[in-house]
Amino acid sequence: MLELEGLTAGYHGGTVLHGVDLTVPPGTVHAVVGHNGAGKSTLVHSVAGLLRPTAGSVRLDGTEVAGRAAHRIARAGVGLVPQGRRVFAGLTVEEHLRLSYRAPSGGAGSVPSWTPARVLELLPRLAERRGHRGADLSGGEQQMLALARALLSTPRVLLLDEPTEGLAPVLVRQIHELIGALAGDGIAVLLVSPSPSLAASCADEISVLTSGRITTRLSGSSAREDPAPLHEALSLSRTGT
Amino acid sequence: MPVLDAHLVPAIDGVAYGLLLFVVAAGLSLAFGTAGVLNLSHGALYAIGAYLGAELSDGTWGGLLLGLVVGTAAACAAGVLLAAATAPLAGRGHLAQALLTFGLALVVGDLLVEIFGADELPVHVPGALDASVSVLGHRYPAYRLTFIGMAVALALAGTWVLTRTRAGAAVRASADDPQMLAATGINPRAVHTGVLAAAGALAGAAGVLGAPIIGPGPDAPDTVLMLSLVIVVLGGLRSLWGVLLAAIGVGQVQTLGVSVAPDLAPYLLFASMAAVLVLRRGGAMAAEGGAGPELGGGDRSVSLRRVRDRIGAGVARAGAVLRPVAGRRGAQVRAVRRILPYAVLVGLLAAVPSLLDAYSVSLVGYGLALGLVAVSVTVLTGYAGLPTLGQTAPFAVGAYTTALLADEGITVGPLQVLLAALAAAVFALVTGPAVIRARGTTVLMITLAVGELTSTVIGQAKSLTGGTDGLYGFPSTEPFWGSEPLADERSAYVYVLTVAALAVAATWLFLRSSAGRLLTGTRGAEERMRASGHPVARYLMVAYVGAGALAGIGGALLVTVQEYVSPADAGFEIAALALLAVVIGGATSVVGTLFGVGLIVVTRDWLAGIWPGHGQLLLGILFVLAVYLLPRGLAGLRLPRAPGAADGPSGDTPYGRPPAQRTAGAGATEKTGGAATEEQDDAKDRTIEATS
Repeated sequence: MLELEGLTAGYHGGTVLHGVDLTVPPGTVHAVVGHNGAGKSTLVHSVAGLLRPTAGSVRLDGTEVAGRAAHRIARAGVGLVPQGRRVFAGLTVEEHLRLSYRAPSGGAGSVPSWTPARVLELLPRLAERRGHRGADLSGGEQQMLALARALLSTPRVLLLDEPTEGLAPVLVRQIHELIGALAGDGIAVLLVSPSPSLAASCADEISVLTSGRITTRLSGSSAREDPAPLHEALSLSRTGT
Repeated sequence: MPVLDAHLVPAIDGVAYGLLLFVVAAGLSLAFGTAGVLNLSHGALYAIGAYLGAELSDGTWGGLLLGLVVGTAAACAAGVLLAAATAPLAGRGHLAQALLTFGLALVVGDLLVEIFGADELPVHVPGALDASVSVLGHRYPAYRLTFIGMAVALALAGTWVLTRTRAGAAVRASADDPQMLAATGINPRAVHTGVLAAAGALAGAAGVLGAPIIGPGPDAPDTVLMLSLVIVVLGGLRSLWGVLLAAIGVGQVQTLGVSVAPDLAPYLLFASMAAVLVLRRGGAMAAEGGAGPELGGGDRSVSLRRVRDRIGAGVARAGAVLRPVAGRRGAQVRAVRRILPYAVLVGLLAAVPSLLDAYSVSLVGYGLALGLVAVSVTVLTGYAGLPTLGQTAPFAVGAYTTALLADEGITVGPLQVLLAALAAAVFALVTGPAVIRARGTTVLMITLAVGELTSTVIGQAKSLTGGTDGLYGFPSTEPFWGSEPLADERSAYVYVLTVAALAVAATWLFLRSSAGRLLTGTRGAEERMRASGHPVARYLMVAYVGAGALAGIGGALLVTVQEYVSPADAGFEIAALALLAVVIGGATSVVGTLFGVGLIVVTRDWLAGIWPGHGQLLLGILFVLAVYLLPRGLAGLRLPRAPGAADGPSGDTPYGRPPAQRTAGAGATEKTGGAATEEQDDAKDRTIEATS
């Protein structure tokens, strides 16, 4: 379970994120939608520890992790699939898997841990590309690799930053299914995206982020039934209010 | 086959020498390419291994093994300390690291001499290896053959670790994207430490095993560092094969080259390096993208980020609100703040003759001559984005021109200065095309080659330059036509101060003019300048020739002050000091640079008079302290009330305006001068380029 409370963060003294409250229970997908500059990536980065929050708390199954170093947060069970994928250009797929895999440190509990074999079963395309370097993969393959990298630490919380950006529709659909499957596996998924349709299609909860504040909260099922309120909330946020 | 036969031994020597350099340079390349540390103390790590190895190995196998273990462990530990020392510099750019590691190298070098003595230590290898074996009919030292085997084993082991293990993958991933490595659960700091420890261990092991080839003496650190730098530049970063090839090549140049063409030997290394760098467009380092250009001006954009962090958005907003009312008062305050440091400096310098003894007065005069060289380095490094180690070459040209003119009876000062500047400018015009095509680290190495080749030529052309003895015994300079020669130190000093002040003022005006801004724009956003139709190459050439002339004037003044000139006045050490003075000064600050030179001269020559023989140690301590205590250079001291305000807050604050017009608080703490404004903009440009 991921709980954010009053999370505030920014760059160079300027505040981008103003007191965000969110809860993502295990096995659910929480989508945060917002326009460019709303603070989506800042949110993800401050949860993952790539950016130190200036105030507020980030709790992982009740444990406070805000302010910890990124690698500690990762080890505590937060997996990150960053915007732009950021696979290691010079490492092969195989090396990515080997580097990211951490054998469970005992007492992992009920969740079966992710191993390279299990990841390759989920993402068979990567198995065919084992020997290729990150830089030589297609966008979709890089996205799979970024996901594999995050999964191999057997995260309890998965952060997905615009996972369908720049992908062909068929791959977008595939990503939707993957997200659903991972949540079904008990992972708490926090997804940020500018796309209301992606959010509506796979999220249990949807929050609209406007200028660093959550302005609207909807349930995924209501957005699927009637997307109008979500679109309206987003278009309001575009006018800069 | 007799030709081949005659050169077989030097050729094998070259392989041994090359492999030794490979092991050292691989560590340097690893530290730079993957941990981002430009380690100028790498040669000192080698020396630690070499001294300990020589001390412990007593001619038995056990002794050699003990030496190997202790020497490697000590250098490895030094690498760990280096990792701790460089960690706080993250984001400060390579020149800050260069300053720190150069300082540490000086300190370690001094300590090694203190502990082991100033003479080269004798090296004992185990008896079984202390024989010679027959290679195709030639006697050849068995140790060297064994060494070749060991170096190959080390190289293979290193390559295996880097390319086949998880640790190696982590190292390569960290070079690529340390943030994502952290998000994968691996501590990038641990990788950083590990890389520097491994680099240290490699240098230490090379020192122990290579002691019979490059022995443990006071010169070892510099020799090893210089050759390794050359190899890394030629071979590239992260490509071990490239480094290997370059190392063998340099080994051959240093051994086979000397045996085939002894007359050309002194020039071979740097001439071949310059040739390779100039011929191969976008050399190995340039091809590595980030590593190159960062050295030039990237420093500033990175340090700006720190400045941004410190200055709250509130200040920026207040400034934006207040800007319309800042008005004239702000402009006046700004002008005063800009002029004040110069006024202080001129006041201090003017008081020198009446306050100090004759020796100190001429030392300050020497400092002024060196100051002009350093200012020329500022122009190139801080404004044109061409970090240089070669301004000692036009300095030498100016100095020798002046000395030769004086020898011919042309002793009128202004004429000497003019002709020295002209000669240096012509020299710059000739060498310029090779320099201005390159960027970043490659510039450092090409200019280093230019400087080294020039001082070699001077050392060799004995009939003209007096060789290493230098020129002396020529008549003193006359300040005007028909006036009395400058007989004593004080009158010479006044003349030197006047000329230096005029030269600095001219430089300052140039840098503040629109020409100076074009130059800064070129450094910050070259592509954009090109796209806007600016002849970038011509701007850089003008800057290079102008900087050459300025250094040439410095040379003329040097000769007036010390009435003697030798190749040592234009050696690598002087080039390094000039560059480090610029870093200490704050990179784009002319006055900061002059104060930086002052600090260096005072430390090296004046304080060392109190504690003789430890000038290098004091200088090293100065550099280390400067890195930590003056993160923004001396120029950053200008405005104690607004931390780091020398460059002003960043241009990409919510209001995105250059800070020159911005006032903070009650409009009293005006920020900065025009040059810094440009920096804002190009820092912003760089950020944009980096993200696109």
